[in-house]
Amino acid sequence: MSDFSIIGKRIAMVDAAGKTTGAGKYTDDLTLPGMLIGKILHSPYPHARIKRIDASRALALEGVVAVVTGQDAPNKYGILPVGHDETALAVDRVRYVGDNVACVAAVDETTAEKALELIEVEYEPLPAYFDPEESMKAERDLIHENRPHNLEKDYHHVFGDPEKGFAEADCIRESRYIANEVTHAAMEPHSTLAAFELDPYSGALGRLTVWSSTQVPYYLQHKLSLVLEMPMSQIRVIKPLVGGGFGGKSEVIPLEIIAAVAARAAKAPVKITYTREEVFWAHRGRPRTIMDMKIGAKRDGRLTAVAARVVQDGGAYCSYGVVTILYSGALLGAIYDILNVRWDGYRVLTNKPACGAMRGHGTVNVRFAFESQLDEIAAEIALDPAEIRRINLLQPPCITVNNLRVTSYGLPECIEKVVERSGWRERRGKLPRGRGLGIGCSHYVSGAANSIIRSDMPHSTVNIKIDRDGGVVVYTGASEIGQGSDTMTAQIAAEVLGCTLQRVKIVAADTDLTPIDIGSYSSRVTFMAGNATLRAAEEVKKQIASAAARKMNCVPEDLVFRDDLVFKRGSSVSSVPSGVDSVVAGRVEGQILRGSLQQKRKEEVPKDWMTFEEAVVAAIDFHGALTGTGSYAPPPESRGGSFKGAGVGPSPSYSYSAQVADVSVDEETGEVTVHKVWAAHDCGRALNPVAVEGQIIGSVWMGLGQALEEEMVWKDGLLMNPGLLEYRSPSAVESPEIEPIIVESIDPEGPFGAKECSEGSLAATIPAIANAIYDAVGIRLREVPFTPERVLAAIRARDAAAKKLDLTEGVDPTAPTRFREHGGALWFRGKGPKRHELDPARRAEQLAGGDD
Amino acid sequence: MSLPDFKLLRPRSLAEAVELLGKHVDVQIVAGGTDLIPSLKQRLFIPAYVIDIRRIAELRGIRVIPGQGTEIGALTTLTEIEHSDLIRRDYPVLQEAAKTVASPILRNMGTLGGNICLDTRCLWYNQSLTWRTSCGFCIKKDGDLCHVAPGGTKCWAVFSGDTPPALLCLDAELEIAGPAGTRRLALRDFYTNLGDARMKLARNEMVSRVFLPERTAGYRGVYRKLRLRGSIDYPLAGVAVALKRSNGHVEDARVAITAVNPAPLVVRGVEKEMVGKSVTEEIAAAVGELAARTAKPLTTSALTPEYRREMIRVFAKRAVLEAGTK
Ligand SMILES: Cc1cc2nc3c(=O)[nH]c(=O)nc-3n(C[C@H](O)[C@H](O)[C@H](O)COP(=O)(O)OP(=O)(O)OC[C@H]3O[C@@H](n4cnc5c(N)ncnc54)[C@H](O)[C@@H]3O)c2cc1C
Repeated sequence: MSDFSIIGKRIAMVDAAGKTTGAGKYTDDLTLPGMLIGKILHSPYPHARIKRIDASRALALEGVVAVVTGQDAPNKYGILPVGHDETALAVDRVRYVGDNVACVAAVDETTAEKALELIEVEYEPLPAYFDPEESMKAERDLIHENRPHNLEKDYHHVFGDPEKGFAEADCIRESRYIANEVTHAAMEPHSTLAAFELDPYSGALGRLTVWSSTQVPYYLQHKLSLVLEMPMSQIRVIKPLVGGGFGGKSEVIPLEIIAAVAARAAKAPVKITYTREEVFWAHRGRPRTIMDMKIGAKRDGRLTAVAARVVQDGGAYCSYGVVTILYSGALLGAIYDILNVRWDGYRVLTNKPACGAMRGHGTVNVRFAFESQLDEIAAEIALDPAEIRRINLLQPPCITVNNLRVTSYGLPECIEKVVERSGWRERRGKLPRGRGLGIGCSHYVSGAANSIIRSDMPHSTVNIKIDRDGGVVVYTGASEIGQGSDTMTAQIAAEVLGCTLQRVKIVAADTDLTPIDIGSYSSRVTFMAGNATLRAAEEVKKQIASAAARKMNCVPEDLVFRDDLVFKRGSSVSSVPSGVDSVVAGRVEGQILRGSLQQKRKEEVPKDWMTFEEAVVAAIDFHGALTGTGSYAPPPESRGGSFKGAGVGPSPSYSYSAQVADVSVDEETGEVTVHKVWAAHDCGRALNPVAVEGQIIGSVWMGLGQALEEEMVWKDGLLMNPGLLEYRSPSAVESPEIEPIIVESIDPEGPFGAKECSEGSLAATIPAIANAIYDAVGIRLREVPFTPERVLAAIRARDAAAKKLDLTEGVDPTAPTRFREHGGALWFRGKGPKRHELDPARRAEQLAGGDD
Repeated sequence: MSLPDFKLLRPRSLAEAVELLGKHVDVQIVAGGTDLIPSLKQRLFIPAYVIDIRRIAELRGIRVIPGQGTEIGALTTLTEIEHSDLIRRDYPVLQEAAKTVASPILRNMGTLGGNICLDTRCLWYNQSLTWRTSCGFCIKKDGDLCHVAPGGTKCWAVFSGDTPPALLCLDAELEIAGPAGTRRLALRDFYTNLGDARMKLARNEMVSRVFLPERTAGYRGVYRKLRLRGSIDYPLAGVAVALKRSNGHVEDARVAITAVNPAPLVVRGVEKEMVGKSVTEEIAAAVGELAARTAKPLTTSALTPEYRREMIRVFAKRAVLEAGTK
């Protein structure tokens, strides 16, 4: 059944007008009477003990209302129950350059900034760790005392019999891949406004309201309650418009807690908006990942075993780290049929900003390594890269060796489509020198089957209320962050109720008004909040149907809800008016106040149809009120195995994608140009094809950024490019045409068959480009991003050229060898100069230990 | 990040501007502000006075002076230069360079004078006050060490403007206004090649106009710029070539490079290599070598120095071939 009136249609986002005209309000647009501006003092040291903080001079500055430090709110929190290692402000230790030390609340930004310079902090520097493999050897001066060897977590999984698998292989490839650190770079910097109610007589603090740019209002409410020691019911979190998140707002970010702590101390509303540099420090992006990947295959292309050792440079706090590392192993499964898998994952702490969840959480870097190596195998056994992928497809429905349940599976069609549209068969191998085609595949979860805080409670709940004039209000906790959550919700409600989209109003992400939804992350909203919306709408529809059926002398099952009408199934089309407007006027005018008695009088005989409004009035008459509720919890059979770490990876459904990239490489400069990417994505069903295409195109462009340009560069824990000028997300010029191809596998459990569409595509882009570069010029790049200098160095190495490009020229020979082994980096990574004697940031002495 | 406190002065004539420059010690000129404003926010400058020269109408526009050449006011925007038919026809290398600067929006604000007087840049310098505090202050600002050449006493901050190499190829001259009136200076003699004292401009002087001689009008020109993104990025290396051909032979030629030294530099020995010959692969390659030898890139910018020098070689070769054969 694909005869829908609203589902599957190309629909403009319901919140588009406010965003495009500027009328819409983001958090930083909000002001309250008496509002103060908060500014945060950050640590200049990567690792140090705080010996003393003296804020008296700052407090004395006119216009400064409060200065808060770690002691003002020492309770620990963290997004994961196993990772409660953050405090609002540093309590006795700072762990990265940029860590939060104090916050000033003042009458304006300038005053707050001046006050920051007046805060005196005495630090005792500690040895710091910057490289994960060195950090893992640490014996002392640990980043967190309860994490020996600075190891946040390590896991070791074996499924099937990898030894046997490799023994049976005809061809084995083994190499090290590196993916450097990237960040979300959402357009809107984080912003939070916190305000307490004050008792007008006693001045005592009452309820707290927080407006914040968040993907997870309910987690924020929960963490605020932990830190502020207030019941959750006393805290209201409201999410205004959000200008992109990509995972960077999918946990509690320091400013969100700090603003509340400052507002409590100042007894006035406090707003904090990060500078772009602070956004980079708050970070929570994709960790630098070192992957030792090994794949074995038979001569016919069948994969026999995979082994991967994955080390993630997690930064100074846990954040989502445990989940990130687990995804890197779990998602080796559920895409190809691999029976023997060994995976060792290490999440390591270092003295840098915390990494967290970022679009394609945990899978992107490993997919780059895997899909690249798969091509190496294909080349060795002389198989077409598209063919080797086809040979290893899963046969769903099935359960993988690591207990992931795969139901709908559009990957075969995705591969077929991109091969066909890109002219793969005709063009590959026949392109001029320097030009090539490459393929890559990927997949992603449609939400995690197990929530962060494990329970059997629903992950999403939605309430619907219908007013007397047929206005439908949907209350959902789901967070619209630009991805289209509100539009999806409105579409599903309108489709089920058979009313126009204009009738539906969305009230979202306000913890006082909306029922709980755990947030916009892991691509869960369409699947889970969508299902909850569907169920809520069906519940209300049932009430309307029973009342309408009485009026129409039929059973509720005979009624069809569509195009703002309720009519008997099979009633001749001509008897049902096509335009609603013609009947609304006059007939139901005034009914809201007069009720339906008058209306009843007008009606002589039972009819074949009613307008939606009439049906609603009939239902309110009959039931007294018209509300419905629906919720969603992933089915138990989708929740995975019971081994240690089995909780991450399972999902009620997986999306699939395949991509072909068409690139050329300038062999004299190493510059890579991507001409076009064909991207097929299996999203189950495209509820709104424009939105799906937008997500596919956006994912590919974001993947392209990581593939070619984006890289966070560190020097002794100092981020060398904390801004959008030097951290290079692609501009429109090098973002090529993307041809999005929607594949619909109609998922058995998704709402109308829909599943994930906004993360899965990203991971395929990087290997597709890597493989295309190989096809173009015969070099295998194992470190992303593929900057021109890395490409040129590989080309020179390929030619064993007399004029080698030594990218390590000028690098201190005593610098750790890992900086040199992979042929360079964007920047000089040797040792810096000794700090000057008079330098305010000079370290007390040359410190022993650490790896700098 | 907010701006530091300063007094804004807004003169309406060149004379008034010069007078104000002479009167106040701690002062910065702002034209389009695309370079200065971010630097003020980062506290690279904390001037007591800022002179906004944008109201000086006489410093705008492009004008032909018959028999002499073309005069461009310092306040002429890069967008105006990019879209000027005159510049496109007579001084194509300048037009090519101008249209690679930053992005369209920045070119609408950015002026030619500001591009010529652009502050030198360094990854260790163009950072917020907080950042520089954690790193240690350098020679260019507040300190006396160099992160780029440890132990050194010279500042290597790199000149990263796009139009000056093009202007150098065209033998441009500057008109400099000061208390004693105006003086002329060849652009070639304007820069010092010192990162922390980039130009020969007295404290009470400013650049008022740029002259392009009639002699170089019609020179074929090519500008090639290394950057990671197709827009927004400053050059990581840049090469401008301008040459005059007659009967297939080079009559005059100039090559200049940018973004690899503390100043934009004219590559020496190019005339000798090219004049009187027709451009071939070999000649282009030889010029590429000369250019690479002039380049002294350091770790002031993204990408490794060695790669950037290599690209000066490749880009110079390609630009010479293109200008010389097409
Ligand atoms: C994101 C970004 C990207 C950029 N990319 C590029 C790029 O690719 N290439 C490039 O060349 N530039 C780039 N720029 C720098 C800048 O936009 C241009 O160089 C522009 O031409 C500067 O002109 P302005 O009028 O805005 O200068 P201002 O900011 O007004 O001034 C720049 C400097 O020159 C001085 N000054 C200005 N006019 C005069 C005068 N008449 N006499 C004496 N001193 C004067 C000022 O005191 C100041 O020190 C970029 C800037 C940004 C923010």
